[in-house]
Amino acid sequence: MGRGNAYDAIVIGGGHNGLTTAAYLARAGRNVLVLERRYLVGGSTVSEEVFPGFKFSVLSYVVSLLRPEIIRELQLSRHGLEILPLESTFTPLHGDYLFRGSDHDETRREIYRHSPRDADAYDRFGQLMYRMALAVKPILAMVPPDPTSMRPKDLRGLLRLGRHFRDLGEADFFMLYKLLTMSSADFLDEWFETDVLKATMSASGIIGTFLGPRSPGTAYVQLHHYMGEIDGAFRAWGFARGGTGAVAESIASAARDLGVTIRENATVGHVMVRGGRAVGVALEDGEEIGARTVVSGLDPRRTFLGLVDEADLPENFLGAIRRYRSTGSSGKVNLALSELPNFTCLPGHGDHLRGAISISPSQDYLERAYDDAKYGEFSRRPYMDVIIPSLIDPGMAPPGKHVMSCFVQYAPFNLNGGWNDERREAFGDTVVATLSEYAPNLPDAIIHRQVVTPQDMQDVFGLTGGNIFHGELSLQQLFFLRPAPRWADYRTPIRGFYQCGSGTHPGGGICAGPGRLAALEILKDGHR
Amino acid sequence: MRGTYDAVVIGAGHNGLVTGTYLARAGLSVLVLEQRDRVGGTASTEELIPGFRFDTGAHRVGQLHPAIATDLDLGRHGLQMIRTDPGVFIPVAGGRHLLLGESDSAAAESIRTFSPDDARRWPEFSKFTRLVVGFLSALYSMEPPSVPGPLLSDARALARLGLGLRKLGRRNMEEVIRVLPMSCLELLDEWFESEPLRGALAGVAVQGGIHGPMATGTAHNLLRRAAESVSGSPVELLRPRGGVGRLGDSLASAARAAGAEIRTDIAVKHVVLRDDRAAGVVLADGAEIAAGMVASGVGPGVTLLSLSNPGTLEPEFVRDLKAVRYRGATAKVHLALGEPPRFEGLSEHGSHLNGAISISPGIEYVERASDAAKYGRVSEEPYLEAVIPSVTEPDFAPEGKHGMSVLVQYAPYHLRAGSWDRAAADSLADTVVETLGRYAPNLPGSVEARHVLTPADMEERWALQEGSIFQGEMTLDQFFFARPVAGWARYRTPIGGLYLCGGGTHPGGGVTGTSGYLAARRILKDAKGRR
Repeated sequence: MGRGNAYDAIVIGGGHNGLTTAAYLARAGRNVLVLERRYLVGGSTVSEEVFPGFKFSVLSYVVSLLRPEIIRELQLSRHGLEILPLESTFTPLHGDYLFRGSDHDETRREIYRHSPRDADAYDRFGQLMYRMALAVKPILAMVPPDPTSMRPKDLRGLLRLGRHFRDLGEADFFMLYKLLTMSSADFLDEWFETDVLKATMSASGIIGTFLGPRSPGTAYVQLHHYMGEIDGAFRAWGFARGGTGAVAESIASAARDLGVTIRENATVGHVMVRGGRAVGVALEDGEEIGARTVVSGLDPRRTFLGLVDEADLPENFLGAIRRYRSTGSSGKVNLALSELPNFTCLPGHGDHLRGAISISPSQDYLERAYDDAKYGEFSRRPYMDVIIPSLIDPGMAPPGKHVMSCFVQYAPFNLNGGWNDERREAFGDTVVATLSEYAPNLPDAIIHRQVVTPQDMQDVFGLTGGNIFHGELSLQQLFFLRPAPRWADYRTPIRGFYQCGSGTHPGGGICAGPGRLAALEILKDGHR
Repeated sequence: MRGTYDAVVIGAGHNGLVTGTYLARAGLSVLVLEQRDRVGGTASTEELIPGFRFDTGAHRVGQLHPAIATDLDLGRHGLQMIRTDPGVFIPVAGGRHLLLGESDSAAAESIRTFSPDDARRWPEFSKFTRLVVGFLSALYSMEPPSVPGPLLSDARALARLGLGLRKLGRRNMEEVIRVLPMSCLELLDEWFESEPLRGALAGVAVQGGIHGPMATGTAHNLLRRAAESVSGSPVELLRPRGGVGRLGDSLASAARAAGAEIRTDIAVKHVVLRDDRAAGVVLADGAEIAAGMVASGVGPGVTLLSLSNPGTLEPEFVRDLKAVRYRGATAKVHLALGEPPRFEGLSEHGSHLNGAISISPGIEYVERASDAAKYGRVSEEPYLEAVIPSVTEPDFAPEGKHGMSVLVQYAPYHLRAGSWDRAAADSLADTVVETLGRYAPNLPGSVEARHVLTPADMEERWALQEGSIFQGEMTLDQFFFARPVAGWARYRTPIGGLYLCGGGTHPGGGVTGTSGYLAARRILKDAKGRR
């Protein structure tokens, strides 16, 4: 090994971040191999025809955080990426509803119907969130400087950060601080009075977390979901034509175009380390492949507790990784439907079915859903973020039929008694029962049902604890602490071994920020 | 009482008294006004039930700011602090129990009966908390800087803080930064497995707030308690001999010795403004007292929205002030007992009754108790911390009898159904007695009289807005440079000559006098500046 390496770099895991890293390395002239355990690339960003004719975005289901510079730099549009706007949110209630659409005036009138005061606040709130998102953007785009380090590179970064905060001005700085430390419920209470509006908005603060809307720290996650930008337009959620798998496929296609070799059905057993330096990988079937650089797109626990010999890692670092919290709180239910759901509060097949459908009738509802999970049960009445992709992209289902994607919270990974087939189906039944309270025709319309529990997310997709973000987005696991102090710059204690997954800054979501920043850091180190 | 003073202090709580004392020591003529018939505020000891004396509000105190101890020599004014051993006694169903105190080895012995691993880790944990305490104490004893663009003076203060952090060594520095935003659950998951231990520490972390131990930021409250202790231990029980009221009395005596005048039974109606500056106060009886400056130990909301005219304030400031969260969820139940409580498996005369008695069998128990508060209900199975001063100081109760003070979580100020009327207070007391009875079966039968302080009563008695014992939630968003509101954390208010010196300002929290001390320093600096 060493000389005569087949590749300059090997990327472990063909998720969207791994593919992004590979593409950027190839773009710089590196000879790159991507190894994917499953039969297809994408990781959690996959579309699969689980049932003949019906394509599901099995796990992640909307595009909201994909960095525009990546779309540009990798020319993803040329490689088939087409994002269809998903601009409305419909929250059914018993006897009433809240519908926020793309038309500003209509949305304003709708909110006015619930509360004139909130209608005014809504516009100002939107402007504030836009400003806050702009304030956070540069932070998400930078390699986190370590305040405990004296390295010039870190001090420079800290200085830049300090200037950035100063330039924000007092008002916006304090607002950002509040967002980082407050609960989304308390934060929204300062702005709005309509329960269903607050509930639906705070829901975006709990997605993927093991916190309730009244727990401090959730206001920030809410902002994380405001970061979504499509062609520069904030807060526009999008759906990729062909499902989220199309995002990964477009990055993969760009990567191949740049000369990257991608091998599916190739499971890495471990990273080969010689003299404290990564020299390649060994596949489970025994095949060894050499490379000067090895990059892992897997989550931190799988990367450091699974792929390498713990003896090659310092004790403190290992301790930090063992403490790293990565407990899943959400499940996914994908439905194949013979007809569209018909909501009692707003019958028919109007625009309200074309965007997100949020089961978040009240703040208490979300909080109660959380209470169940705290004590090890899945929510008896869960929060759901539902979309019907086949309405936006008919190609997802046979003519006249539909697919429905339900993101469900809370479903704790550590379920009392553990997950099994029976509990999985019980969970699926709960989801259908909850939805049918609002759309009674749904149960009879179901042709097929796919239920994905946090346990499945770990077993099938390799997400430790079934955490969709490769580790919780809590303050102590963000920025220079993600995934561990001193190693938040995509490097690892093993020379030539790097990390590029969502377990690194800026974290989860179909964002690809980690993949891009990792590639840039690897190129800085220069060895090929 | 004269008609004119250099400074008037509103409220003779421990912080107000500290501020008054320091101003008087600097040569100012000072008048401290207290609406109640006694000084001390929540730090008072009263005969609430004939023959039985109780620490009405706080039943424990924190370590006073070091400067106060040395400057005011409170020992000479009758203050003598005692630390009980053990600090906390946690009864567990089935006659088992846990005893935690300052002696790590003794605590470890007790913990061993639940988990050998935890017993092994306890001394490490103590080391860890003492380490964090080193940094937090520095943070608590400094005036918050003006962020985001620090002035030169702040730059120095911040540099000192940064140096303090660096002195810990890089790894410890990372640790401190990492744990501060954690939930108590996250912190304890990294250390302990035995539920009684986790519950006891979780209880400490939730006192005075509305959040449960699974809420982000509660780890800081646990460490804050450690930082306020003398021994650096979160399970220390520190109190003045003779009751917490002695603190108020000794501070008052020190204030008088310094030349300050203290008047009780005098309520302030509002602050007088002259050319947009505080120029004195108007009393309930209409009399006006002129003063060069006014310092208020009352909470920020009461001071600036009730005692002053909000019309004179910037709307943005008023908005921020109104956004401060109080949401008290703590009640106090005082019980007159005919005999000492007999906890299952323990005699009625044991050191276990010396310190705090914590009803917190597990962290989930405490979290479940907090769930009720989220929906505006009183916990059916509340977290309790009880003390029985008469065990170590017999003169607190008639011969052979005992007075027990119980801190209750959660009893939310904002009830969804009904209000804090007599009936609600009684059923709260019933719940408390019932809960205690599960561990000390003889207790319910031995209750001779009860005295209940609901969050509403606390608001009424001590002007604690929404019954918040800290004059505002102790959450990260209302901490340091953001306490009471971001941009106004330096004891000043937008009204010239009007200052805040109570727990609603940094560092807030328990009975340490630090807010009063830092406020006095700020006032004197400004006064020098004006001269």
